[in-house]
Amino acid sequence: MKKSRFSRIVFFLTLIFLFMPLIVLVVYAFNESKNMSWTGFSLVWFQRLFTASRSIWRAFWNSILIALSSAATATAIGTLGAIGINWYSFKLKKYVQTISLLPLILPEIIIGVSMLIFFVGAGLHLGLLRIYIAHTTFNLPFVLLVLMSRLDEFDFSIIEAARDLGAREHQTLLKVIIPMAMPGIISAFLIAVTMSLEDFVITSFVSGPGSSTLPVHIYSMIRTGVSPVVNALSVVLLGGTAGLVFLMRPFFKYITHE
Amino acid sequence: MKKNYGSIYTLPMAFWVTLFFLVPVLIVFLYSFLERGEHGGVVWIFSLNAYRDMLSPTFIHILGITLFISLLSTALTLLIALPCGYYMARSRRKSLYLFLIIIPFLTNFLIRIYAWQAILGNSGFLNNLLMRLGLIDNYIQFLYNEWAVIIVLVYSYLPYAILPLYSTIEKFDFSLLEAARDLGASHPASILRVMIPNIRSGIISAVLFTFIPTFGAYAVPKLVGGGRNSFMLGNLIADEILVNRNWPFASATSILITLVTTAAMGLYVFANKSAARAAQRKRI
Amino acid sequence: MKGSEVRIEGIDKHFGDFHALKNVGVDIQKGEFFSLLGPSGCGKTTLLRIIAGFETPSAGIVYVDGRNILPLPPNRRQVNTIFQNYALFPHLTVFENVAFALRLKKYGKQEINSKVEEYLNLTKLTGQEYKKPAQLSGGQKQRVAIARALVNEPDVLLLDEPLSALDAKLRQHMLIELDMIHDKIGITFIYVTHDQQEALSVSDHIAVMNEGRIVQVGNPTEIYESPADIFVANFIGEANLFNGTVTAVEGEMVWVAVEPLGILKVTMEPGDLEGTRDFKPGRRVSITVRPEKINISLEKPADLPADAFNFFPCAVDEVIYNGFQSKFFVTIPDFARFTLKVFKQHMSYYSTGSEINWKDKAWIWWKADDAYLVEVHDA
Repeated sequence: MKKSRFSRIVFFLTLIFLFMPLIVLVVYAFNESKNMSWTGFSLVWFQRLFTASRSIWRAFWNSILIALSSAATATAIGTLGAIGINWYSFKLKKYVQTISLLPLILPEIIIGVSMLIFFVGAGLHLGLLRIYIAHTTFNLPFVLLVLMSRLDEFDFSIIEAARDLGAREHQTLLKVIIPMAMPGIISAFLIAVTMSLEDFVITSFVSGPGSSTLPVHIYSMIRTGVSPVVNALSVVLLGGTAGLVFLMRPFFKYITHE
Repeated sequence: MKKNYGSIYTLPMAFWVTLFFLVPVLIVFLYSFLERGEHGGVVWIFSLNAYRDMLSPTFIHILGITLFISLLSTALTLLIALPCGYYMARSRRKSLYLFLIIIPFLTNFLIRIYAWQAILGNSGFLNNLLMRLGLIDNYIQFLYNEWAVIIVLVYSYLPYAILPLYSTIEKFDFSLLEAARDLGASHPASILRVMIPNIRSGIISAVLFTFIPTFGAYAVPKLVGGGRNSFMLGNLIADEILVNRNWPFASATSILITLVTTAAMGLYVFANKSAARAAQRKRI
Repeated sequence: MKGSEVRIEGIDKHFGDFHALKNVGVDIQKGEFFSLLGPSGCGKTTLLRIIAGFETPSAGIVYVDGRNILPLPPNRRQVNTIFQNYALFPHLTVFENVAFALRLKKYGKQEINSKVEEYLNLTKLTGQEYKKPAQLSGGQKQRVAIARALVNEPDVLLLDEPLSALDAKLRQHMLIELDMIHDKIGITFIYVTHDQQEALSVSDHIAVMNEGRIVQVGNPTEIYESPADIFVANFIGEANLFNGTVTAVEGEMVWVAVEPLGILKVTMEPGDLEGTRDFKPGRRVSITVRPEKINISLEKPADLPADAFNFFPCAVDEVIYNGFQSKFFVTIPDFARFTLKVFKQHMSYYSTGSEINWKDKAWIWWKADDAYLVEVHDA
């Protein structure tokens, strides 16, 4: 059967649409002039990025710290939650399930505003702690979804088999459920780290002065207009991400094929 | 009697989301019915002022703009995503194409917006290109209007629409299309009458994944919009919180967005009810 | 004899409005191969899960060697289960799956190795130790599940439709192997199945279940030759049924009037006409005749004593050639309501006459003691 030519054209135009901004971004990171007209190759913006922008790197480390800690918390809480919701029935199960998935469907700004109002009301002023709590909260539903779908692949009779063979509850959890769900736990953690590194809207609401993350810092740079330092930064981030993905290939293989 | 470990396992999560999600949302709900404080915050007097403010022409204009931008972006996204998902699902290089769709999203969200600033700006890539080609003498103002916002929103949420469409189309049994052709349907008719109804859940997911975030958009209109016709509800909330310090009004607007969002989600759940019930029957 | 005796008394189980088990009671002897046989939804799996400890009955008691085991959680019962879909731990190798229970019991390394090897050997899995379940075939997964359950040396092994995921050939093969394993280790097997062939071929005793009740318990011959009611007659093998009214009883011989065929003769076994099966004249009954017990030929059989046989002229409506046998669907003239099934092994029917074809006129007959009477509940 002949494939539709129309869908092919749309698909390749879409690829161009998706990649063009990145290509422009990367190319002009190596431009000599500050403007978007090409004047010559230069690494001056990279030099500027690494020497004259210490606040970027402070924000960068904040981002890493928040991402790892909030992803770890969300993964731990969410994994247990998914096990409970998927394989057990108990009172208030519907409530827990609904309320835990709800942050997923609300626009970020709603979560940002409500958390800001909550933190102000609770008198919590520590910026990084606020960001950590906010990130853990919006990461929870992602972890929950990933793990629930992972656990769905297994039949409940596996748990029954473990009990049948003499395992008590904690042994079933530690020796069967968690090892079995491990690929799901790792991918949930990676997704949570990514979501946390990505987030701008919620962070910008809850973070006070002096506790910005990388996206919040980038925002303050680009609000005032085009700066090739941002281009250089995006090249570094792109390269870093690509390198990380490359290094973690065996890991991804483990996740997808066990 | 055996202990119920289900509630023990879910306890930390239940506690966390109740305290840090449900309680804050309830506070916002409560605040929307209170009097505004002089320098932010609220005065504990019941008031419907916040909701009355929603009847002002300015607010209605912003609401209209928000709906216009989010609905148009959603429609455009869907129109682009459908053929893309179809092409990818039928292709032999599925994983390569999936990878290509995801790659641009390995960069930070703000950097992607920034890239569009660099392209569409007055001294940006596009203006430079057009001038160099001699097509224009003076720069054209591409940024800071509703069209710039729509382009960047479509750009930002396209993969979120392509992925669910791709996965439902991939599961679609294409021999049904051949059966339709065999029974006398034209190619477009077979797609419209056989494929579209069968990939309905993917279409609904794609619409929701686009509509919900664009309706509550904040960063995109803030950075590439900002004019009278590109100031959205999300920007209004931020301004009311941070600049005008009218917390009840910001709260009421948040409640409005929450209601619209949950209503959209409710429609989705309703549409999927039969499918979910069938799935549940399978699990028993 | 190893293994335990299992005694089930008055088990009731409700799932909401659904009454899954209704006052079920049965005695299972030490070391026997006992089958729970019935159509899906009859409650057999629920009963098995109650013995295993995964369900709590609404009423009733389960004794193993005289001790009530219901208060014990599944992990403390000397009972192990083979699950329908095997339920192997996907993250563990074959070896580790089998060693699972031993590690929980903190056995020493030496002991674990020797025991696991012993049972992998028993189930012919030697050499597969380091594979993951995903790399195994259906039959191999089945063997791992068996080894994993048996390595615990349980008193009772519960098998929940263990062969249902295998293809027909492999099913036959595994069934024989299960039987051999049972003979070798001698513990009590409780086997749940909906497949009457499986149950008939390996069981010492069978309990036939229907709609939450046990309708008959007996050895395979009893279940097949003397079904307790129409359900059992129809569910186990195939049956031709004639509804009629008892007109006379004389010793073991019963005369039954079947409209409009006339009087049919049935000879029962001594003791088969007692208790609820005391078929006095006037009782509504059903006669069952197994298709393979009916003879068919083109000529009217000569020299058959009329008081020991039933015979009728018939028209052959359909012949289905099945290889090892042929199935005939015949109608008795003026009696079109009844289509009879007649199964014949080729050897035997060729020897009694010439080949029978579609649309032939023929004769059928069967011995009075090849038929069997069952109760009709509607009267």
